[in-house]
Amino acid sequence: MNSVVEVRRLTKTYKTTTALDDVSLSIDEDSIYGLLGRNGAGKTTLMSILTAQNFATSGDVEVFGEDPYENARVLNRMCFVRESQKYPDDSNARHALTNARLFFPHWDQDFADQLVSDFDLPLKTPIKKLSRGQQSAVGVIIGLASRAEITFFDEPYLGFDAVARQTFYDRLIADYAEHPRTIVLSSHLIDEVADLIEKVIVIDHGRIIMDETTEEVRSRAVNVVGDADAINRLVAGREVIHRESLGRVASVTMLGHLSNADRELIDDANLDLTPVSLQQLVVRSTQTDLAESSAAETDSRSLQS
Amino acid sequence: MTAVIDHPPGARTSRPKNRILGVVRLQFTNTQTFVWVPLLILVAAWLITLIIHWIIASAGVDSQMYSGGSQTPLWYFAVVGAQAVNLTFYFSQAMSLTRREFCLGSLTAAAISAAGISAVFVVLGLIEQATDGYGLGGYFAYLPWVWEHGPLGAGFVYFVLTMLCFVLGFWFAIFYKRAGALILTISLTVIALALLAGAAWINVNRAWPEVWAAIVGAQAIGLALWALGLTAVFALGSYLTLRRLTT
Repeated sequence: MNSVVEVRRLTKTYKTTTALDDVSLSIDEDSIYGLLGRNGAGKTTLMSILTAQNFATSGDVEVFGEDPYENARVLNRMCFVRESQKYPDDSNARHALTNARLFFPHWDQDFADQLVSDFDLPLKTPIKKLSRGQQSAVGVIIGLASRAEITFFDEPYLGFDAVARQTFYDRLIADYAEHPRTIVLSSHLIDEVADLIEKVIVIDHGRIIMDETTEEVRSRAVNVVGDADAINRLVAGREVIHRESLGRVASVTMLGHLSNADRELIDDANLDLTPVSLQQLVVRSTQTDLAESSAAETDSRSLQS
Repeated sequence: MTAVIDHPPGARTSRPKNRILGVVRLQFTNTQTFVWVPLLILVAAWLITLIIHWIIASAGVDSQMYSGGSQTPLWYFAVVGAQAVNLTFYFSQAMSLTRREFCLGSLTAAAISAAGISAVFVVLGLIEQATDGYGLGGYFAYLPWVWEHGPLGAGFVYFVLTMLCFVLGFWFAIFYKRAGALILTISLTVIALALLAGAAWINVNRAWPEVWAAIVGAQAIGLALWALGLTAVFALGSYLTLRRLTT
């Protein structure tokens, strides 16, 4: 697969903090990435450096094989939708969309019109008077209808209700199927986007701590549901990252793969295997600071099994 | 039987378009800032001056009256320059524009706006010339010193001074965004002190008569050419400051 973004040893320091610490990664063409991490982990800094809106302290960034800084040829092919985009004072959504049509070469006006009605966006109200969710809709529509070859969505749905979020996910995946492109979606709502994203990049304290396909991440752990006693026998000695129980029934997520013996036990005890929550895995990996020493042992053992 | 239909390839190729002209359109989204407020200021200053001239004339004063009121929109263009950055820079970044495109487009937008207001200034001056100051002997735009080289010369002077004010506001707004209020205030203080030092130097050397003579002696066009050079320098300074501005 061709990579469209190459980042090598990227570091960004502000006066007192290190936002990005020696980050290296590559982003492939025509895939949907989830850029996940806690607040202040460095997600926005990374995306703004890739779109040349911010500058690296050291390290190299190449987008489509070139340095994106002041490079219209490269910037032309990207779109960055920010969490709280600022718009010109007097402008309304129609102005913003008309301008976007001017600057994004793959802009699809019919798609934009359809999204405006999907999100019920008033076109004539000044943007500063729109509700938080409606303002977010302006950015989301620009991001989708621009069909840029690389589109970054940075927490694009602030103020969206569940219905609007689902609309966003549905339109994104449907349009992506027809017009494959690279999409980088940064989100806190990990389980909501889990079915959307093909690859997961987790960033924590400015470092990349996970860069794998969603399937690989999910296969790191298994989730079993059923009789609590049987489950306790199964998970003995393994690291459990999540446990819920109701009476005699438990649902437990544990790290590691299943051996043949494990599978027999699961069959005998009538336990069910259910999909692992991506969120549990990501939360655990960003919590390693808290339980580094104890996790390290179990981790190595369960990964061997 | 099968038919092979060739679909034209490249249905998704990009349409070439001028991104700098796009920035001009983007700036004119703020029609109020770029068009209506400068025009309103000019018309208001004109109306107020006209009424004052009428009051004076009706009091029986029979001399020619010259007002400097037509300069008011010039100062407002410093605000336009600052607003061009404040209102539009972040959105221009979201439109994947380079800082260079933003800078050139904003300056072009300012030039269009300045040309418009200069045209109004020239038209007012021509009317005053034709009607001997609205029959009152009161002049708002037709100032002999500025009009020495005719309407085109006057329009040029007005245009350049408007651009100079715009670029100053533009640069200060960028500088403020990069450096913050404290460093901006310190810099302005240093500039004020430097100007004061210049004035003190002239004072100590008792050179004021020569300075005034030089300013009056230099024709408006000559000063406008200096202002044009200064505008170019400030525009370059703006771009160099903007190059490292982050969102």
